[in-house]
Amino acid sequence: MTGGTRLTAAEHPVDGWSAAIEAYFDRGWTDGLPVVPATASGVERFLDAARLSPDAIVLKEPVRRRVVTAEKVAINALMAGCRPEYMLVLLAALDAMADDAFTLHGSITSTGGAATLLVVNGPIRQTLSINGGANVFGPGWRANATIGRAIRLITLNCLGALPGVLDRSTQGHPGKYTYCIAENEEESPWEPLHVERGFAREASTVTVFAAESPHNVLTHYGQTAEAIIVALADTMAALGSFSPGQSFVVVAPEHVAMLARDGWDKPRIKAALHARARRTRADLKRGGKLPGAIEPGDEHAWVHRGEGPEDIHVIVAGGGPGGHSAFIPSWSRARNSLVVTREIRA
Amino acid sequence: MIVRILDPTVTAEPTESPMAKRIGTLDGKVLGLLANGKVNGDRLLDLVADELRARYDVRDVVRLQKRGASVVAEDTMFEHLASRCDAVVTAIGD
Repeated sequence: MTGGTRLTAAEHPVDGWSAAIEAYFDRGWTDGLPVVPATASGVERFLDAARLSPDAIVLKEPVRRRVVTAEKVAINALMAGCRPEYMLVLLAALDAMADDAFTLHGSITSTGGAATLLVVNGPIRQTLSINGGANVFGPGWRANATIGRAIRLITLNCLGALPGVLDRSTQGHPGKYTYCIAENEEESPWEPLHVERGFAREASTVTVFAAESPHNVLTHYGQTAEAIIVALADTMAALGSFSPGQSFVVVAPEHVAMLARDGWDKPRIKAALHARARRTRADLKRGGKLPGAIEPGDEHAWVHRGEGPEDIHVIVAGGGPGGHSAFIPSWSRARNSLVVTREIRA
Repeated sequence: MIVRILDPTVTAEPTESPMAKRIGTLDGKVLGLLANGKVNGDRLLDLVADELRARYDVRDVVRLQKRGASVVAEDTMFEHLASRCDAVVTAIGD
């Protein structure tokens, strides 16, 4: 019980800020990087920004029997380096992760080593300076870096997804430190993700996806929509990540301009990618993606990535010159974990 | 200066799950098999069933498979197993 506040988290007195940072390491409460020491006064500012009482329940995880309150979210957000106003994004993201369709327990446990990708849409991108432009998956933006990191710290500290214990990732990937981007709506001629998913254009949303790392799709010399589609679909059809699961295609502005110039919109892109991103059953068996021996007909029996074009989520992100788009496969090899979107309530 | 850091962790909510009543023998009983949906989970359970049938006069076997390894079995599955079976074996295969 913290003295003089409404908070209930146990307090640990430490002699000075440097010792406080070390204390987090000693207790196993970090992601391996130093955290900002969370004190009661700081946490209260985060709760005020979220207009929540400390005991408000944000997320329940039934398999691990964890109940995560606003107070614990605020503590981890502060530790991650967030500003208090980022709480609104975190609350919406955690609500999305708690949706049955996301399968939270499985996605943060599996050997597959997924990270929770957050895609932010709408005006809150500007309000919080969430980057959707140059180096979109890279460093340099506080909101991207710390919102994604807060989700990881909550996953570690509140959901018990400790590496080798309840997180059994064989390899994991760097997105498990932080994995938060905005869609670059300003350089997109198409409907942004949240509008496609039924939200008003002026709404702000966060979309969660249990995701592998981004796979770069470089195509500099084709200069046509057709060339971009061929390269994207080829990457999507690679055996390593091939599955009937959902996926994200993150198109860079240079590719977007060519696709738009040649008359392509999102529905056409999705349909073309779904049609081309396919392998024969024989290939899938040769690569150990399906069990059993190759049988008559397998050489001509096609399996597509995703159950249909709508399983391919196309967004625009990145900035400046460069023909580098990205393909992000799902952790889920089928329907066990699906994309979920929630509105961020201001 | 003393800095009072707050505990960021959440522990599992306590729960009570009493042991089911022991049945002693499988003779004349109905055996349930719940596969988790991974490759070979069903085959592993078939071997278990064969072994148990060799040792006991099992009256019947009920086989169910979860929709996927990562998802919790539906309530209807639990209800079906509870109403039909005297004992249930579940297995992960891969």
